Amino acid sequence: MDESRKGPRSGSKSIGHVTIADRRQFLIGSAGLLGAAAFGAGTSLGIGRARAQSRAEISFASAAFFGKETFGDLIKAFNESQDRILVKNIELPPPSSSTEVYQGLVQQLARRTGTPDVFSQDVIWIAGFAAAGWALPLDEYFPADKRSAYFTGTLNACTYGGKLTALPWFMDSGMFYYRKDVLEKHGGKVPETWTDMATIAAAAQKAGDIDFGYLWQGKQAEVLVCDAVEIITSNNGAILAPDGKSSLINQKGAVEAIQFLHDTIATNKVSPQDVLSWDEEPSRQPFTSGKAMFMRNWSYVYPIAQDAKASQVVDKVGVAPLPSFPGGKSSACLGGYQLGVNANSKQREAAIELLTWLSSTETQHRIALNFGLAPTRPALFQDAQIKKEQPFMASLEKVFTGATARPITPEYAKVTLALQSGISKALVSGNIQAEMDATAAQIDKIVG
Amino acid sequence: MSAAATIPGIGRPRRSGKALPGALWALLLLTPAFVSLASVSFYPIVNGLYLSLTNTSLITQEQDFTGFSNYVELWGDPQFWNAWWHTMWFTAASTVLETVIGLGMALILCEAFKGRGLVRAAMLVPWAMPTVVTSKMFGWLFDGQNGIVNYILLHAGLIDQNINWYGSTDTAMITIIIADVWKTTPFMALLLLTGLQTVPNSLIEAARMDGAKGWITFWYIRLPLLMPTLLIAGLFRALDAFRVFDLVYVLTGGGPADSTETLSTLSYKVLFSTLQFGYGSAVSTAMFVTEGIIALVFCLYLIRQIRRAQ
Repeated sequence: MDESRKGPRSGSKSIGHVTIADRRQFLIGSAGLLGAAAFGAGTSLGIGRARAQSRAEISFASAAFFGKETFGDLIKAFNESQDRILVKNIELPPPSSSTEVYQGLVQQLARRTGTPDVFSQDVIWIAGFAAAGWALPLDEYFPADKRSAYFTGTLNACTYGGKLTALPWFMDSGMFYYRKDVLEKHGGKVPETWTDMATIAAAAQKAGDIDFGYLWQGKQAEVLVCDAVEIITSNNGAILAPDGKSSLINQKGAVEAIQFLHDTIATNKVSPQDVLSWDEEPSRQPFTSGKAMFMRNWSYVYPIAQDAKASQVVDKVGVAPLPSFPGGKSSACLGGYQLGVNANSKQREAAIELLTWLSSTETQHRIALNFGLAPTRPALFQDAQIKKEQPFMASLEKVFTGATARPITPEYAKVTLALQSGISKALVSGNIQAEMDATAAQIDKIVG
Repeated sequence: MSAAATIPGIGRPRRSGKALPGALWALLLLTPAFVSLASVSFYPIVNGLYLSLTNTSLITQEQDFTGFSNYVELWGDPQFWNAWWHTMWFTAASTVLETVIGLGMALILCEAFKGRGLVRAAMLVPWAMPTVVTSKMFGWLFDGQNGIVNYILLHAGLIDQNINWYGSTDTAMITIIIADVWKTTPFMALLLLTGLQTVPNSLIEAARMDGAKGWITFWYIRLPLLMPTLLIAGLFRALDAFRVFDLVYVLTGGGPADSTETLSTLSYKVLFSTLQFGYGSAVSTAMFVTEGIIALVFCLYLIRQIRRAQ
């Protein structure tokens, strides 16, 4: 039948997913029962009674990442490393289906049954889960001296209402890609301000060295908010006031920043008009095929740029922190998944132990090597093995230092829709101040 | 239904003991159909209506009855009206285009020519394709940098620089309509072809004998007789087009500047991104009501047509 009629029902796909998750949980549950039965049989034979009874059973849910191993293997390693806690792994969809992961987690947490005891969450969900009372405050378990081992930007994103409600796990952020060979012809110095970037890009375009000066992501989607957060913060602006109760997006810092994005298309023309409909991949393709000089994107681009089968720019690509405005500081939009403990967990101590283990230096080290996901502990970027096996990741410490959280508010899902729509309108129409005023009014209504 | 079934039951002398009374039998046999329909069709609608009168949200964990406040908010929500107008525009444009082009295709396929069976089958290919595939395909065709549409137009001298089809508020919706027309016209052609085949050949032959040319035959014989089919096909198509989701979701996500936001994508965002089930249900209910009105208009017109024909 016609696919378009699935419109209103497309949600049922996601709900379907949740039932699948439920069923999976049920299966896991019954597997547990079987296991228990097996243990029962074991005890009748006089084996392993003490072990079976003393192990606290908890569960861990996370979006499924893949690499040389899976999170299931990670959990297995934890189970084998000690004999006090037995963790079962609940696998959610991959991070590319982020909305489905979110729905799955919300449905489980909202039941307040204590399952999953430990979960991983996208940085933008942290405030919502904390405000709903689903995430356990972790301050007493992780006092200031333990927290200093993490990047500040990540810790900020993990803090809601003055309380640490998530523990940093692994991260990504926006970064500035440049073409070493083209830049060499135009001064050779990586631009540190946006104006310099536009000047160099325009000169290279004019000289015919390159088709596009600067690529970014202007599609009405989440990534647009990321691009906006970066450029606004680099002009000392902000989307929300520090108390999170009003919007600053119609203030000078933010408006100038969005104006700059608009200018890249309309005035200095270093960006093609197409960026308005591009998200990550469409903007990555011209860059790795050698058509662009500068690009803002996530860390996933680098391995592709270095792959001779997919890229024309092998060994010609460099990465730096994004430029800033004069008087501002370079800022990179924070991404990645962080850990949380279910406030209704019946096995709090065990959950904390798993959490501590997952975020430990050793486990982050293992995740960096086996999954290619960057650690949230700056110290690990000096690690010899990581430097050797993941040289690109090791070079990102400077970029991640500027990592900035997206607006921290329990209403983020509504705020981001308003931002996507408002910024897109501003970029298309060029009436930056008017559109930002309208967006600010809308956001004030949501968060006020 | 049950009332109609009861009447013969009363009139008949009761057989005692062995069998159930006829009315009960009828009711009993209807139960499975009723239960299955009620659970998959009636209950979700009623539950949706109820949800739209509450402030249910998974995030705030509220679930209180709030009367019509969602609808008051909806009435003053520019996002909703923006999406509503886009949906109406999309529905009208795609239905009209698909009907006209589909009619043309049906007329051609109605004629006898060599390889007609093959052409009829080939014609259905676009319709048989999953919409997500169509969407991706049109994404490439109309790509601003490497798309073949820009390439052809540029080389034909019709445009002097590449058009960013999906990135401009002027062209994004039109491009989506083109994709939908390409995909769904075969469906219309198929429905209209069956309609054309019910027009008795004798009428057409009689007209020819009277000296009527092709156009006259079409206008005075085929079209009037095709009218009921045309209206029903149009109704199907309009209701279908009203729910457009995948094309928009894959191609533009509602952008740029909300210029392709439709009611389905809006309600998806409200329901499943922000998890406001109350307000989202109100949006869905508003869709349901609008679709009801569209169906009503079509049906009234159809009844009038049939009456006039009689």
